[in-house]
Amino acid sequence: MIKLTINGKEIQVPRGTMVLDACQQAGADIPTLCYDPDLKLAGSCRMCVVEAKGRPNLMAACVSPAENNMVIETESHDVVESRKIILELLLARHKLECHTCERDGSCKLQDYCYRYGVTDSRYAGQGPHFGMEDPNPFIKRDYDKCIMCTRCVRACEEITGAQVINVKDRGHHAKISTVFDGKLADSNCVFCGQCLMVCPVGALTSKVSAGKGRSFQTKGVLTTCTYCGTGCTFELNVKDDNVVGVTSVRDSEFSPVNKGALCVKGRFGWDFIHSPERLTTPLIKENGEFRPASWDEALNLAAEKLKGMKDKYGTDSVAMFSSARVTNEENYLAQKFARVVLGTNNIDHCASLCHSSNVAGMGAAFGSGAMTNTINDMGEDARAIFVIGSNTTENHPIIGYKIKQNVRKNGAKLIVADPHCTDLATMADVNMQFQPGTDVALLNGMMNVIITEGLLDKEFIENRTENFAALKQILEKYTPEYVEPITGVPADDIRRAARIYAESEASAICYSMGQTPYSTGTDNVKSVCNLAMLTGNVGRPGTGVNALLGQNNVQGACDMGCLPIAYQAATDSEIRDKFEKAWGLTLSAQNGLTVTQTINAAHAGQIKGLFVLGENPIVSDPDIQHVDEYLEKLECLIVQDIFLTETAQKADIVLPGLSFAEKEGTFTSTERRVQLVRKAVSGPGEAQDDWWILCELSTRMGYPMFYANAEEIFEEMRLLTPSYAGMSYARLQGSGLHWPCPTEDHPGTPILHKDIFSRGLGLFHAIEFKEPVEL
Amino acid sequence: MAEEMRVLLEYADKINPESADEYVKVGGYVGLEKARQMEINDLIQEVKSSGLRGRGGAGFNAGMKWSFVPKNAEIKYVVCNLDEGEPGTYKDRIICEKNAQALLEGMAICGRAIGSNQGYIYCRGEYPFTVKLLKNAIQSAKELGALGDFNIEVRMGAGAYVCGEETALIESIEGHRGEPRFKPPFPGVAGLWGVPTVVNNVETFACLPSILTKGSAWFAGIGAAKYPGTKIVTLTGDAVNTTFFEVPTDYILRDVIYKLGGGVKGGKKLKAVQVGGTSGSFIPEQNLDTQIDFDSMGAIGAALGSGAVLVLDETRDIVDIVTRISKFFEHESCGKCNPCREGTFRCREIMEKINAGKASQKDIDNLLLLTRVMQKAALCGLGQAAPFPIQSTIKHFAHEYARKIV
Amino acid sequence: MANYKDIIVGCIDKKGGIIEAFHALQNEFNYIPHEALVEAARVFGVSEAQAYGVATFYSYLSVEKRGKYIIRMCESAPCHVAGADELLKALESQLGIKVGETTSDGKFTLELTECVGQCQATPVITVNSEPVFNVTTKILPQVLAAYK
Ligand SMILES: Cc1cc2nc3c(=O)[nH]c(=O)nc-3n(C[C@H](O)[C@H](O)[C@H](O)COP(=O)(O)O)c2cc1C
Ligand code: SF4
Ligand code: SF4
Ligand code: SF4
Ligand code: SF4
Ligand code: FES
Ligand code: FES
Repeated sequence: MIKLTINGKEIQVPRGTMVLDACQQAGADIPTLCYDPDLKLAGSCRMCVVEAKGRPNLMAACVSPAENNMVIETESHDVVESRKIILELLLARHKLECHTCERDGSCKLQDYCYRYGVTDSRYAGQGPHFGMEDPNPFIKRDYDKCIMCTRCVRACEEITGAQVINVKDRGHHAKISTVFDGKLADSNCVFCGQCLMVCPVGALTSKVSAGKGRSFQTKGVLTTCTYCGTGCTFELNVKDDNVVGVTSVRDSEFSPVNKGALCVKGRFGWDFIHSPERLTTPLIKENGEFRPASWDEALNLAAEKLKGMKDKYGTDSVAMFSSARVTNEENYLAQKFARVVLGTNNIDHCASLCHSSNVAGMGAAFGSGAMTNTINDMGEDARAIFVIGSNTTENHPIIGYKIKQNVRKNGAKLIVADPHCTDLATMADVNMQFQPGTDVALLNGMMNVIITEGLLDKEFIENRTENFAALKQILEKYTPEYVEPITGVPADDIRRAARIYAESEASAICYSMGQTPYSTGTDNVKSVCNLAMLTGNVGRPGTGVNALLGQNNVQGACDMGCLPIAYQAATDSEIRDKFEKAWGLTLSAQNGLTVTQTINAAHAGQIKGLFVLGENPIVSDPDIQHVDEYLEKLECLIVQDIFLTETAQKADIVLPGLSFAEKEGTFTSTERRVQLVRKAVSGPGEAQDDWWILCELSTRMGYPMFYANAEEIFEEMRLLTPSYAGMSYARLQGSGLHWPCPTEDHPGTPILHKDIFSRGLGLFHAIEFKEPVEL
Repeated sequence: MAEEMRVLLEYADKINPESADEYVKVGGYVGLEKARQMEINDLIQEVKSSGLRGRGGAGFNAGMKWSFVPKNAEIKYVVCNLDEGEPGTYKDRIICEKNAQALLEGMAICGRAIGSNQGYIYCRGEYPFTVKLLKNAIQSAKELGALGDFNIEVRMGAGAYVCGEETALIESIEGHRGEPRFKPPFPGVAGLWGVPTVVNNVETFACLPSILTKGSAWFAGIGAAKYPGTKIVTLTGDAVNTTFFEVPTDYILRDVIYKLGGGVKGGKKLKAVQVGGTSGSFIPEQNLDTQIDFDSMGAIGAALGSGAVLVLDETRDIVDIVTRISKFFEHESCGKCNPCREGTFRCREIMEKINAGKASQKDIDNLLLLTRVMQKAALCGLGQAAPFPIQSTIKHFAHEYARKIV
Repeated sequence: MANYKDIIVGCIDKKGGIIEAFHALQNEFNYIPHEALVEAARVFGVSEAQAYGVATFYSYLSVEKRGKYIIRMCESAPCHVAGADELLKALESQLGIKVGETTSDGKFTLELTECVGQCQATPVITVNSEPVFNVTTKILPQVLAAYK
């Protein structure tokens, strides 16, 4: 410990503490401009200067380590004089227009001028002269408000890893610029807006929010992003019951995954909430045209139709698609509605198609078909990351940024295998661009090297797995030389990749859509599981088999049972018993139809009615033509959505639901983290909570359902869902919980299969390479 | 004492500076050989006790600096500062042109002391011919095997005064913008590519061979006790002989100008001397009897700096010259920190205003306030020293300012 | 003319040597062509924005096309007191360009510089980094005539 005196107060801090933190601890508030706790230190703005006794010059608190017996004054004459003059110097080049500035009220320059009573500058010579620039839809860059703190440059480099901006020129000519001082849109800028997040003044602001309300006029509502499975959180800025922007939450307690960082969709893509295209009333189709209807009319009609079909053609003539975009509560209710009210297990959601290979593959190998580790594991603990079939920076930007950070900052090794040269591939230690569909061959090749070179984890294989011999046997022939012509990857690259993966202390595998939708998807998943088990890379921080799920709540929709063959299988009488008791009636013991089977069955005339909740199967299915046709064939299509999507346009009845900004609930991210969605604004027109719509329908169809709010649904759900049993809204307030969380005192499970696999022993699968049928 | 004392330049123009063989013939590389025979601690102690202090401006004891380098670090570097950006200074170029091998030998001695086998010479971009000369000298030394396993690579600056600042210099070698780093950590602990690095000036290194050959006591006995040895000074401006001289450090300024420099051109009276280059203070006539060593200069509010001596005769317009100097700092500020980036800019604006006869006393007050803050709060020596010419002239030549303000 | 890629590759063994590469490029082209800057960034593993930041930081590097002979006039204090101001006027009028410009025949580019370390013979100009000493306005025409 170090002892020092700050403003006459003696304090103790651990060695290595910076004077800035020591001052904070002593209760002295030090102004800072260039300092950002998440970025490398710059020590350049000199706002944080303090006076240390015995030193000729002032010291910048943010970059000075505390030393024993230092005597520090934080507001001495010299300190205050320096800060004032620095502010005056900044004002002299500043386009001071707080009255119209987006950052009025949340601007450090303004705050400090207020604090030190700096009204204008005695150094007003040449004024602001850099001008404004950049025709792009998202970011306004006004260099006449820039204070050259370089936080944006550091954020772009250190958080996003895009490195598209830097300081150009020097001295007072210096300005922030892209290469050749060009437009952001012509650079590799991904418009993540991390630069805007860290800018302490109004130099970088959101064009999407411009003029819609400043920080002191808005209320922030913490919620979870609805675009992808990463599970980023942020605050919706609300003014007059309107969402007017998004701000980062930089506290990891409330933004555990992204710590404020966002991608272009999360940061700038919220304007759909108040789109004039939103559905505001129920619609009924008459003579091929929609007409607005009252809720009563629409619900009665929907109930009547569904009931009619059920009675006429039997319960399994109707199917329901739920959605990986809506909340867990809604998904739970949707599948309950299908099973209980419609009386069928024909419940699925579109994303299950992609996830099914994970469920099947990982389920067989490990006993649980979900991402084994956390996103932060890949961003921090993994010493090597093997990305196969995932354009991570594109589809899961924040996870991509984290992988980049781990590589750049911590020197983690990166192996990328992808048919395309992805962004991550360009910075990989080994970049294996392989023939589409040859994943198994490639993985077998790597495992062959690992076995041949003795890089396998014998102890792990012995104690924690079974069926290794079978795998070993089939791997024999998959030498890198054998695999090279199949995959198109040079044998040496396969060797290098295998060594990096096997030799690092902790290696994580990360894959996504690229891997799973092929017919060989399950084989691919089993193969990556083989690879992980072979090297003992399961169950520890920084390891694992990490499937990145596309939509925001694929995991949740599956967990809630929106699957024809759910985790909690309808064919299992014990499980059925549990649900029948809870729901008070008998359930079908038959597995339901998947989305694809439903489509085919509709074609064949077996499915007559379809209820689609928040999905757009027309665009999400690869064979659009086919889907289009079968929708035409249906006797009745009911769509519940927030927009009149392509699918909704085909509907007979359209029921307007709410967007994520308008409701309560939970999402479960790809890393099994359950997080709250909070209501920020009211819905448009007569649009209603999706769960309310389901309850109303159910009640009208003779099975009364009543919940006061989403939380009540969650409470019912957790009684029936063991992995969620220990969760409650109160417990989810901060950073959420990773399932399984079986009891109320359970801390959640960030890492699966720690000491034992869900299925007991991990199961190796001996998998031969087969040509994929799609090709 | 009207003569020079040539130690570094003893064989100037007598040997080919590029040739290691010729250097060896006049006793070169004996010091390095001696260093190799010594225990590391003794070697560092020897340099410490010679009292050799940095010739690059900060005057830090060289042996002391080396002793801070962690012994256990695997990779370490020796970096020679040949940026020589201080206007009016060209002594490092002269050392290379007259005695380049001594510089190489000095670096190798340092390498031996800190346990490094890789040296870099950072040469300013203005001296491409010196780069050539040094490359040849290194080649020659290699061929002779004089440097042993010590390698030296020459890197070139590209027109940035601030790259003379040791951490900016390191950034520049790394291929970055030449922006100074905050300290600590000092280069001795985390320098080039993050590893312990000793940065010394050319002249500092060039002193080492003779210290080793002739002994620390010999060196400590030359010149001023607290800043022993010789110093190469370069005379510019209105002196009769605008050239370089090597003198013991207890030499007085007046003798530099009048005895060696031949006095002021045209028999004019002397108005002021700026010692240490453009970042130095202006010294009025009455202080000319000061010794040039680091501490004596400091005592009169000036600095020896690089040893440049700009002589100004009675006809010179101090305000005009300081205006020009303020433009130098505006041009050379790296722009990283606020006080300097904006401060040097505003200093130039105000100085121009004064020089144009458009300023008031208020402007001078504002200027003084600004320079006070720059001096106290700037990140590196550039911004901290930029005020000296302004402050010292407002102090000693107030009447010249008074004449110009309205 | 040498290929910029070869020039850059020639510097590759110098760790962090992008500035060396820029010098080598300027020796050939008198400036750093855009495509060469992009290539240098790639070869030295830095972002393009970073390479651009470096190229614009140093006053001897330029990303704008320049003339065959780059004349730099020193304006630091010793040269200043030796009459650099007048010399500049003479340079501008004799070359018919202002500082920062290139003559229409592409022969001369005029730049200012700070001290080039030849202050024993002020005022000093350099032509493609070769110093020319004691350049008075009187001898200037002669000096310029030497460059064809
Ligand atoms: C703006 C600035 C410019 C400097 N320029 C030089 C220089 O050109 N040559 C030099 O040796 N030291 C220069 N220095 C001093 C160096 O930072 C460093 O102290 C010196 O190289 C250490 O060597 P020494 O101990 O041998 O003097 C400069 C310092 C500053 C702040
Ligand atoms: S950036 Fe800050 S100081 Fe500048 S106009 Fe905006 S609110 Fe005012
Ligand atoms: S938006 Fe993102 S990528 Fe673009 S400059 Fe800002 S931080 Fe960099
Ligand atoms: S744009 Fe903002 S973050 Fe970037 S340097 Fe300027 S003030 Fe700082
Ligand atoms: S004092 Fe000047 S040169 Fe030094 S870091 Fe600050 S801006 Fe750069
Ligand atoms: S906050 Fe410390 S220097 Fe900027
Ligand atoms: S001042 Fe011009 S060369 Fe030194």
